[in-house]
Amino acid sequence: MTDHVTAWLGAYHDGELRGLRLRQVETHLAHCATCRAELERLRALATLLQESPAAGDLTPPERFVAQVGLRLPRRPERPTWQRAMEIGWRLAPVGLLGAWAYGQAVFVVTGVVMDALQMGLGGDVVAGLLPVSQQRLWLAEVFSLSNVGLNDAGRIMLRMLSNGGPLGWGVMLHLLLSVVIGLLCCSWLASWWARRQHRQQI
Amino acid sequence: MSSQSASSAETELRLITQAQQGDRRAFGELVRRHREGVVNVVYRMCGDANLAEDAAQEAFIRAWQHLPSYRPRSPFRNWVYRIATNVALDALRRERETVDVDALSLAASDEGPETTMEEKERGERVRQAVLALPPASRAVLVLREYEGLSYREIAGTLNIPIGTVMSRLNYARNRLRESLTPYLEVL
Repeated sequence: MTDHVTAWLGAYHDGELRGLRLRQVETHLAHCATCRAELERLRALATLLQESPAAGDLTPPERFVAQVGLRLPRRPERPTWQRAMEIGWRLAPVGLLGAWAYGQAVFVVTGVVMDALQMGLGGDVVAGLLPVSQQRLWLAEVFSLSNVGLNDAGRIMLRMLSNGGPLGWGVMLHLLLSVVIGLLCCSWLASWWARRQHRQQI
Repeated sequence: MSSQSASSAETELRLITQAQQGDRRAFGELVRRHREGVVNVVYRMCGDANLAEDAAQEAFIRAWQHLPSYRPRSPFRNWVYRIATNVALDALRRERETVDVDALSLAASDEGPETTMEEKERGERVRQAVLALPPASRAVLVLREYEGLSYREIAGTLNIPIGTVMSRLNYARNRLRESLTPYLEVL
């Protein structure tokens, strides 16, 4: 048998192997004297390390605890505003999620209402609420009044611009809100990660 | 988990909560519970018993200062061990600037009169061999061989991937086997 499992013997010795890898090592060990000898050497090393003396009894536990107690610094009381900031920081993701959900709801409801109005479902009373599409096209009107010569492509571009882009102002605002909330979420995650790393550095 | 260990874990959690709120007595109880393990980790890391006690106290003081930021997602023991490992490395770095690590043999543990010369010599060789390991590998070896932490716990304690735990442990064991060959043949 040539494919020795030397690299996995340490993990096997420590009881860290599971499933297929464990069975593979066990099967190999049953047939390979070299790896069995290697495993024995690992066990011998573990025994040697375990037998080496520990630190021994130096300071009695009670005295050690008392000494630590005497050296403990006074933990500074955090001011109220700092605690409030901490709570605010923890609640920030909830706030961002709420803002995003609110934006979504407004966008959907506005879309539904606008579609209903455009189909004339609201009657004459509410027809006045319809967006004045002509106002959106003010830029195009200005250009047409001033007789500025534009080719077809230019006119299409102008129309798109005056409508707030290819998707309209509503969609653009919605996208902007999503991007801003996304950026704020990323900043919060970066800040969370930095705090976590700081805790690891103790 | 047995009911006794569950109860012990609950008690520890209560002590941690109380200590986080500034209860020094509760923290003293936590120190009492983890003193032996922390002293042992620091001793195995730096190889000097006196230095180990000072560093262990330093580790507990650091733990006290950072206790409000501790979250009981990982065991308190592992959290304290991480602090102890860092403190030991700091202490060793400071000592290395002034003292030769090899000269620390006189300050090593008191093994008692019953220990034979041969055992003393073997213990000393093992200590020197462990100290000769790079600190990163030594920390993994100490947590595994002397404290019995699982690979996952070591990874969490030292904030490294499990693959790195395995490779550092393999490296440390290979180095030790080379330097302790005569003693391994005798066993």
